[in-house]
Amino acid sequence: MKILVIEDNVELLLDIKRYLEQEGYVCEIAPNYESAYMKVGIFPYDILVVDISLPDGNGLDIIREVKKENIDAGIIIISAKNAVGDKIYGLEIGADDYLTKPFYLSELNARIKALYRRKIYKGSQEIVFNEIRIKPERYEVYVNDQLLTLTKKEFDIIHFFVANKNRLLTKEAIAEHIWGDHIEMSDSFKFIYTHLANLRKKIAELGGKDYIKSIYRVGYKFTDLE
Amino acid sequence: MKLLIKTNQFYFIFLLLVSPAMIAVDYYLIQYIVNSEVNEILAHESQRIQFHLQQEGELPQSNYIFDVRPVMESLPSGKRIVDTLIFDAYSNKLIPYRKYDFTVQTESEKLNVSLSHILLEMNELIVWLFAATALILILLATGLFFINRKIAKWAWKPFHNNLSKLKHYDITNKEPVQLEASGISEFEELSKVISKLMTQVKKDFQNLKEFNENISHEMQTPLAIVRNKMVQLLESPNLSDQERHSVQAAYQEVNKLSKIGKSLTLISRIENQEFKRIDKVELHNLIDNITSNMAEIIDYKQLEMVADLQPVVIKCDLILANILFTNLIKNAIQHNHEGGFIKMCLNEKKFDIENSGKILTTDTNQLFNRFRKGSSATDTLGLGLAINQKICELYNFQLDYHHEEGIHRISLVF
Repeated sequence: MKILVIEDNVELLLDIKRYLEQEGYVCEIAPNYESAYMKVGIFPYDILVVDISLPDGNGLDIIREVKKENIDAGIIIISAKNAVGDKIYGLEIGADDYLTKPFYLSELNARIKALYRRKIYKGSQEIVFNEIRIKPERYEVYVNDQLLTLTKKEFDIIHFFVANKNRLLTKEAIAEHIWGDHIEMSDSFKFIYTHLANLRKKIAELGGKDYIKSIYRVGYKFTDLE
Repeated sequence: MKLLIKTNQFYFIFLLLVSPAMIAVDYYLIQYIVNSEVNEILAHESQRIQFHLQQEGELPQSNYIFDVRPVMESLPSGKRIVDTLIFDAYSNKLIPYRKYDFTVQTESEKLNVSLSHILLEMNELIVWLFAATALILILLATGLFFINRKIAKWAWKPFHNNLSKLKHYDITNKEPVQLEASGISEFEELSKVISKLMTQVKKDFQNLKEFNENISHEMQTPLAIVRNKMVQLLESPNLSDQERHSVQAAYQEVNKLSKIGKSLTLISRIENQEFKRIDKVELHNLIDNITSNMAEIIDYKQLEMVADLQPVVIKCDLILANILFTNLIKNAIQHNHEGGFIKMCLNEKKFDIENSGKILTTDTNQLFNRFRKGSSATDTLGLGLAINQKICELYNFQLDYHHEEGIHRISLVF
């Protein structure tokens, strides 16, 4: 998968690049409108991650250009503005998703994966992690080919985990993923803890291994690496 | 007290004090003039009598002569004016007269001539003077009062018009208040000062708002970087437990900061009226969605949920309605104890949500202010209700909080 990240803050840009490259993607970067415009015109990308406010232009113009040229790329807007108008407008002119800064890299990663799957496989692709199989469009998880009965939130959690396998997922990132912005839920960490315990138990019942490693006080890691 | 009444009061007091003085002055003045006039008449008459006597040698005819009698030669001659009462047989009462006595020397004897002239009856004079003055004063006062009132009404009209405009002044309103021109320099000056003040206040408000927006906006990217760096650090295997602990604590605080930033941005966006959409929001469905989204955490806390929702449609922005009701329901879950209950009731007029929970220690009136927390739980920011308040202000909803022996009820009146 080839991704172009357009973002004017170089430090953030390099962070995103590093994170995405660790996921095994080819990640190119453009720190301004000029270079982004050029790269989009020359190279094919599967996913564009576009910041709206650029020093020499507007990210929305790039999206418009991409749509005009019929370039088949998934587009995720990242913006610090969080203005409703921008969000609606961005989605109207053809962006696929919208993330408000500051976002968790794990969240961006999950969104990129979901978008890629929707684009390329029309959502029908299964996500496989050893004995665990996830059918995202049907909200189903199989362990050793047996259906796992999960609640909605449990599904969200395991889906998020598998999308970010081998990465540290902080409790905050998990909470924001399952509850969304603007909800400060003081019970959510305890809630996540309990749900992870349930998940572990349910997976173990179907003969699955325990891949959820808790990292003391910080969060969790879904991994088969020792 | 109205200005007009206040000034009229002073006029009234002034008239009350001044009118007796006026009557007294009038009285003495008239008396003085009449008396001196009488004196003059009598003096004139005495001169005529003396002249006649010298020429003709006898007393002339005179209507003023009251009495003539001879006096001793040896007595000194002179003039004397006295006031006296003379009994009038016709009208059977005493009538005041002024008497003018003087002596004349005829060939044979010395005569004392007494002239008299009727004086005004002062009692009657006083009564009539008083009546006349009072009448004039009353006429004058009522006339002035009505004229004054008319003038005031007319002259103060622009003032009252402007006042009612200022009463509806809303700092968030983009339209400037246009004050009416009055042509009266005091009012014009006042209008000028107020206009200047309003512009200044508006400018300050705008600056403050922009500052808030910018700060909550500009801090997002640096926060994102800090947060990412910290996750990288936390993933590093070389960290000691102590170091990991420190980074984790800092990470938590950065997260809080970013949440605050996002919430404040939301508040300023509501204040800026960026949410202009008018959706027909089916509240019962919205509430159902939110509760099913939270169903698991409700189960987790073993809360008993009772909902009596009638189908209600309100017109507002869907996003804001979602935030508002999510916040209300979330609060009811969050500030609940395990095994507690939540009761919701929705009808055309209002939405009530009731939950069991701890007794609050904060002043409930301040609960809707920013950063005001009902409990000392450090993991809440206290911005939820402030956001709700802003949303309600936008749509003129009314948000009431009521709390009684561990039962909290929030009513949202549409």
